[in-house]
Amino acid sequence: MSTPQSQASLSALADRWLPKLVLSPTLLISLVFVYGFIAWTGWLSLTESRLLPQMDFAGLVQYQALFENDRWWTAVANLGIFGGLFIGCTLAVGLFLAVLLDQKIRAEGTLRTIYLYPMALSFIVTGTAWKWMLNPDMGLQKVINDWGFPDFTFDWLVDPDKAIYTVVIAGVWQSSGFVMALFLAGLRGIDDSIIKAAQVDGASLPVIYWRIIIPSLRPVFFSVLLILSHIAIKSFDLVMALTGGGPGTASDVPAIFMYQFAFTRGQLGLGAASAMMMLMTIVAVLVPLMYMETRSAKRG
Amino acid sequence: MSVAHSRLRYGITTAVAWSLAILVFFPIFWMMITSFKTEEQAYQLSVIFQPTLQSFREVFARSDYLSFAGNSIAISLGVTLLSLLLAIPAAYSMAFFPGPRTQKILLWMMSTKMMPSVGVLLPVYLLWKNSGLLDTVSGLIIIYTLINLPIAVWMAFTYFCEVPKEILEAARIDGANTWQEIFHLLLPMSLPGLASTGLLLLILSWNEAFWSINLSSSHAAPLTVFIASYSSPEGLFWAKLSAASLLAVAPIMVLGWLAQKQLVRGLTFGAVK
Repeated sequence: MSTPQSQASLSALADRWLPKLVLSPTLLISLVFVYGFIAWTGWLSLTESRLLPQMDFAGLVQYQALFENDRWWTAVANLGIFGGLFIGCTLAVGLFLAVLLDQKIRAEGTLRTIYLYPMALSFIVTGTAWKWMLNPDMGLQKVINDWGFPDFTFDWLVDPDKAIYTVVIAGVWQSSGFVMALFLAGLRGIDDSIIKAAQVDGASLPVIYWRIIIPSLRPVFFSVLLILSHIAIKSFDLVMALTGGGPGTASDVPAIFMYQFAFTRGQLGLGAASAMMMLMTIVAVLVPLMYMETRSAKRG
Repeated sequence: MSVAHSRLRYGITTAVAWSLAILVFFPIFWMMITSFKTEEQAYQLSVIFQPTLQSFREVFARSDYLSFAGNSIAISLGVTLLSLLLAIPAAYSMAFFPGPRTQKILLWMMSTKMMPSVGVLLPVYLLWKNSGLLDTVSGLIIIYTLINLPIAVWMAFTYFCEVPKEILEAARIDGANTWQEIFHLLLPMSLPGLASTGLLLLILSWNEAFWSINLSSSHAAPLTVFIASYSSPEGLFWAKLSAASLLAVAPIMVLGWLAQKQLVRGLTFGAVK
């Protein structure tokens, strides 16, 4: 028997608990899944697991082995080169594209979509076109040789010292449009009257951009930096598609290193240790960035 | 600034913008061109040639191509639906019944997205292997959903926050219950935003390579695995490889072109309105 009163209290109860009830699965899934599994990886990295996981504590042997592994340091150095150049160039190109599109060009929407396309397409797939273009026997080098410059060489893809730079080029190609879209949104958010006032005062366009517009994009810079460093550290498919870490191990990055050791070489423990090192790097990069951003946001 | 001067400036900016667009599009364009060539023509760089569908026929003749494509479709649709199904109630709860800890919960959820997948790869691999999920479509759907759920919640939350609360309150005063409120007001009003979220989920799961390469080999492998495996041993067959690649990106290209606004919004995680 349901009296109106008990019905009301039932619905009040539902009102109070339903929101929490529908939120909990998602929250639980994402937190347990990620942080629980990271703890698991951390534990694996402290064991002597090889092909099969073992659960006996073995101290820091895997980390010791990792630090004595030359390939790991190649991967770390490559990540440094790639990360620095990739973030710098993508920021510059993205900002340039955004300023360009901000000039009220006709068909802006179409241009924006074209710039964004690389981000929407899997690099595993578009990477085939890049491999072709960078291949000295078929791509850019051959075209320019055929045009009457037989001495021109562009063989970065197969040059162990330069292979990582081809990954930078492809990465910039893929992410610039994304950065452009974020900056463009920021540019559109700037109050027009400030710019008009500066124009009335006789400031030239470059001065307006340099002194007024770009400084006011500060929050956008933060989020772009955050996302780009995240993309750089976890970069896997770019390298996988373009060089596969080669020639040899010349363009290894930590994600490839971990994949290789954990799966093809049956060194689960070492792979776990490298994964933990990457995690710590991410935390070391992101936490100060986020801290700075929240602090500057508070100052307003 | 004189009119002639500003017109010149406009002309130059337009020219630069379009040249850059051509440059950006070139790799994709070249892939398209090459896919309509024969293998011999692929080695010649000319743009003028007799187009042929030979490469496409050969790609389709490999019966396994269709199974890879089928997996891609099943996985992307599955992930998109499942993620939205989980994310919408969570976002609804956070947007309209915010507690003192809502902001923190959201931040923690997003923080999981910043963690690199390699950090959880080994446990997932071991777990999937032991529970028979390795190399199954449902196994991939589960992992992609887990990976993308925070983004979906975040975006849906942002769009729900834009819906004016007064309208929902007015409906409630008029006697609408929660379900009517959600299905007749909230969902229709935030539909464009949810469409962007859905498109982003579709794109992310269609393109996902890290997890598919690590967790599937043949039975459940989507197109990204197919292209990745195709490109090393048969890497010299450029025309066929291009045709297969084009078929793999075409759905996203067409969908993105038709829904440009949603594409931009989705790819920028809702930062661009």
